[in-house]
Amino acid sequence: MNTAVEPLSRRVWSALREIEDPEMPINLVDLGLVYGVEVGERTVRIELTFTAMGCPATEMIMEDIRARLLSEPGIDEVRIDIVWDPPWSSSRLSLEGRETLLAWGLSV
Amino acid sequence: MESPGSARFDALLKRGELIESVSEMTPDYLRELKHTLIVSGDTELISAPAYYLAARKAPSVNAFMTGIAIIQDELAHAHIAYHILEELGESQEALIFKRDPKSFRYPYAFDVPLESWTELVVANAMYDQAGFCLLGDIHEQCSYGPWKRGLVKVMAEENFHLRNGRNWSKRISQAGGAAREELQRAVDWMFPLTVEWFGLPDSLKQHSAQLDYRLKGLTNDQLRQQWLGTVVPFMESIGIKVPAHRDGDGYVLDYPFPCTFDAEQKRWDFNDPCSWDAVMARWRARGPRNAEMVALFQESFSKFQVHA
Repeated sequence: MNTAVEPLSRRVWSALREIEDPEMPINLVDLGLVYGVEVGERTVRIELTFTAMGCPATEMIMEDIRARLLSEPGIDEVRIDIVWDPPWSSSRLSLEGRETLLAWGLSV
Repeated sequence: MESPGSARFDALLKRGELIESVSEMTPDYLRELKHTLIVSGDTELISAPAYYLAARKAPSVNAFMTGIAIIQDELAHAHIAYHILEELGESQEALIFKRDPKSFRYPYAFDVPLESWTELVVANAMYDQAGFCLLGDIHEQCSYGPWKRGLVKVMAEENFHLRNGRNWSKRISQAGGAAREELQRAVDWMFPLTVEWFGLPDSLKQHSAQLDYRLKGLTNDQLRQQWLGTVVPFMESIGIKVPAHRDGDGYVLDYPFPCTFDAEQKRWDFNDPCSWDAVMARWRARGPRNAEMVALFQESFSKFQVHA
């Protein structure tokens, strides 16, 4: 692996962790929506899923990802690929995310 | 059961304790709580047909999905209020399906048709902001425990509506040209309608049982100022003009309040101030879309009743 891009990949993951889901108090990574991050020359490709195909917040989430990642030094282009396989389920929640949602009153 | 002593009940309220059941309430408190819940339930319920009739004009499948999700939220919020009313002895069925359209107690603003996606997103940015101020106050202050707790998720969901309103308003304003002019026209008639949503100014409202009973915590003018404090800076930030400006710690309106409104033309006459009696008369008469919207959710009810 190219060590020069490794820190960028880490920065991308932590930037994604700053983005809250528009409907629940949980960030996109802990919610388990991010399936992959690929960092290239000044570009980032995200593999992203949603909790449901009828998710009413898809545009908001993608806008937030683009805005946040483009504010990161070293990124000029953000590509988001939406994937449905494997389908999201609550088993994709991180331990921390699960505790947050339980405290908020969701059964997960 | 013996009715609880009024002095003991007042002391309970003053200590900031929560009321949890009808057996603890005085008849006056129960009446005022029901009235407040009916206004809240009716407002959420009527926003569903009002928003639906405009969401049909969504510019994309994704935008339509967001609009429909907001409508689903509003119905759920209405359900919370009516469910509590049922626990307080009212019939949910009678309240929703068997009332005359004119007896619904929602703000007049919803009676003026929302006819485009632009008007819908302005409603999300301004009407839902009004709902947010009013419900946020109830959520913080309300002395009735079951309602206070039910509002936790309502507040979170209203945030999503505001965001839809603000994102789209900003986007339409940035598009410029005819799109931006349409946005400005929508704000021009909807802004003063939302200002009057908060009711009589404090100078004319001598006494509020809702405040005495801690069903809410802020006065009409305080809530109106809270709303102005969010909507005015937002609209200015996206280059949309509003008839109000900041003055010292608060906001002042740049037009006579109240003044006359032509609902058919969706036009305010800032040169024609009127009395609050005239406003109340307009509210009581209801506006152009009242009967059509109530019919939308009432018309099929009787068809599917199983008669023994």
